[in-house]
Amino acid sequence: MQYSFETVGQALIAKLQGELDLHTSPQFKEELAKFFTTQPQIKYLIMDVKNLQFIDSSGLGVILGRYRELEQRGGRLFFVQANPHIKRVLQMSGMQKISEFADSAADVLERAEGGHL
Amino acid sequence: MMADTNWVKFEIPSDTRNVAFARTAVALFASQLDWTLDELEDIKVAVSEAVSNSIIHGYQLGEGVVRVEASYADRKLTIVIEDYGQGIPDVELAQETGYTTIPEERMGLGFTFMHEYMDEVLVVSEVQKGTKVILIKEVPQRSEG
Repeated sequence: MQYSFETVGQALIAKLQGELDLHTSPQFKEELAKFFTTQPQIKYLIMDVKNLQFIDSSGLGVILGRYRELEQRGGRLFFVQANPHIKRVLQMSGMQKISEFADSAADVLERAEGGHL
Repeated sequence: MMADTNWVKFEIPSDTRNVAFARTAVALFASQLDWTLDELEDIKVAVSEAVSNSIIHGYQLGEGVVRVEASYADRKLTIVIEDYGQGIPDVELAQETGYTTIPEERMGLGFTFMHEYMDEVLVVSEVQKGTKVILIKEVPQRSEG
């Protein structure tokens, strides 16, 4: 499991590669939480899941935890380039209802800058 | 005619690293049947949830052994995931969507995913003895061409 983070203004882009499960999610959770703690301006969490091959409820739990914080900040959650398997898991978990799908992080940022978010 | 059968059995220590091994190994075995890629992913998720449950809840992330058995007869795949941990006091309640004993960390979706992705999920559990989860899925009949 590999991941990288980038902050652009009020957005945090988390790029995931590999499999997010019980073993890999605690470290990702910790890293993600650090950004939320140290950068209170973050309102948009953009999960770039193009190269995420697997996720189960352990992985989803980490993202849901951050969503709760985003919600308190009046922010939003995005999934970029989710493959059909990831989309299905998101739908089934109900996470699709609290998040949005986008084609690219740039799209989301553009909408944010244009004041459309 | 005799059924076309095969099976695999293995045991893993209760270690989070082994969740990926278990789901991948079972999916590899299951791929001897005619699943679509989506269906194989479904099987992987279900196994991942069951093994994760054994490690988190059965053994509370402590030491223990998780036993995995997968077999098929013709088109029907049966996967058994068993631990010898603390067991589930109320099996019905544990399978309700959103039910979790660790609400700050877990979504309570493990059994929901298992039910959604498999045809049948059976849970046998005894407190202080352990839990056995049986996952069953049949290869759907597909129209030719």
